[in-house]
Amino acid sequence: MSLAWSELPRDLIGRHGLERRVHDRGGEPEIRFHYRDRIPRIPVWRDGRLQVVRWGNGRGQSRALPRTGWTWLSTIEEGGWRNSGAVPVDIPASLAMERGVWYRVRQGVRGLLVPDERGFAVAYVICEPASHYYQVMTRSDRMPVLIQEQI
Amino acid sequence: MSANPQAVGHLDADCFYVSAERVRDGFLKEKAVGVLGNQGACVIAKSYEMKAAGVKTGEPIWEALVKCPEGIYVKRDFRWYEVLSRLMLDVMREFSPRVEYYSIDEFFFQAVPLPGKTLQETAVVIRDRINEQIGVPVSVGIARSRTLAKLISDTVKPFGAIATLEREAEEELLAENPVTEITGIAGRRAARLGHWGIRTCLDLARADRTLIRELLTASGEALWWELNGDPVRPILPQRPRHKALSRGGSFGEATDDPVVLYAWLVRNTERLIEELHYHGVIAGRLSVWVSYKDGTSGLGQANLALPTDRFDLLLDAARPCLRKAWRPRARAERMQLIAERLGPRDGAPLGLFDPPSVQAEVLARVKREINSHHGRFLVRSAATLPLAPIYGDSANGYDICDIRGKSCF
Repeated sequence: MSLAWSELPRDLIGRHGLERRVHDRGGEPEIRFHYRDRIPRIPVWRDGRLQVVRWGNGRGQSRALPRTGWTWLSTIEEGGWRNSGAVPVDIPASLAMERGVWYRVRQGVRGLLVPDERGFAVAYVICEPASHYYQVMTRSDRMPVLIQEQI
Repeated sequence: MSANPQAVGHLDADCFYVSAERVRDGFLKEKAVGVLGNQGACVIAKSYEMKAAGVKTGEPIWEALVKCPEGIYVKRDFRWYEVLSRLMLDVMREFSPRVEYYSIDEFFFQAVPLPGKTLQETAVVIRDRINEQIGVPVSVGIARSRTLAKLISDTVKPFGAIATLEREAEEELLAENPVTEITGIAGRRAARLGHWGIRTCLDLARADRTLIRELLTASGEALWWELNGDPVRPILPQRPRHKALSRGGSFGEATDDPVVLYAWLVRNTERLIEELHYHGVIAGRLSVWVSYKDGTSGLGQANLALPTDRFDLLLDAARPCLRKAWRPRARAERMQLIAERLGPRDGAPLGLFDPPSVQAEVLARVKREINSHHGRFLVRSAATLPLAPIYGDSANGYDICDIRGKSCF
């Protein structure tokens, strides 16, 4: 995920040391959030406040949570996260990347925020089966659930 | 306002699809952007930043990624591009009494100097006005013929504006450009000219006219006149009547499955019928052309017993055409359906042995009315079910060639 520099408040950038994530590809600079980062982080809108939280459980910091950074929409609908304390959140994003393909995201991506056993907030990106177009474009069979947008 | 009948203008948008995306999305400005078509497989337009990285139009996304990993890829939206294109057309009509809607991002026009301004200043005003009002950067060329005007606007890209009616400046331009820069001269035609040492546009302009006619027929001779500043190709404010109508395109993913191929045939037949109906014409001849991944192609043609725009009759004719064009186990990647020998729908002769089918007519009307009110392809043939993902994507409901009124294809 990547977010336009102007979309994140300065204090949040400073507090989480996000300067090291700034990239310039022309035009407005961006702050990039990679799941494979040493300390994976992702911004979320929670109760009207923008926060930067841990992205998934890829390094196994939690024994209770799944060791991924995403979850299927169908899993949520089938009650797979029931009683976990999970709440839906919006993940602001200007761009997303799948298998090396950067594509524009207009509003953001749907996410799930869940506390781990120590009470730390962990975010998961919600996914659904890829559309035909998305599948051809990225060769991926899953795609993030975009906010009010379809690819 | 005095018009100079000799002055022809050509306006061409700079990387139009990308510019159109930037109109509604400022975040994309100054970044390498590629617009994807054909269900996400190929780059159909690229920004100058992406071009600088070596990405070419028509390149598969996987090859473009290697050259430009920082590029941003956007799904095409022809409906939006048409909106901007028609707004540009409206602005152009404020500047000229005769405007030709040549293609979605190109216009020819009779160049009229603005009061108190030279043609050069007028070219700059037009360029800037389009950019201010629509937000799309364009290039403008004004010259003594449309071929020269187009060559100029191509040369001054991006965001240039040049007017020249002087022979000396024209010759300089012609000497700098290879003949392949002229629309209509490529491949075999360029090779034919090459045998005679004709490589630049100036070589062509200075060549013997009868030789050019011999080598390139009457259309080549017309180019010769135009390059020498004699306009023989008029500006067409109204598109001439179609001699043929065609619908089709790339499948996105190549296929050797006859069921899928048949589904494409039905989809293209339904699209072709929409077009026949819009223009109030019926087809007397139908061709089905299929191209394969290995570079080969197949063609099937049929003369219709009676000209028609009826789905069942056209499909009956198209089916054997597809069989002729089909190569078992070869992977097909494109199909085109072409309706020719067009005649007016009203007043078409009735067949003695094939009376009109009331049921089929009613069905066609109901289908057309539902689709026009509630969404294109809402009612369609069940034979297109193998293409459910295509119909599920609303972007596939609108194709570039469905934009009407342009004089080019």
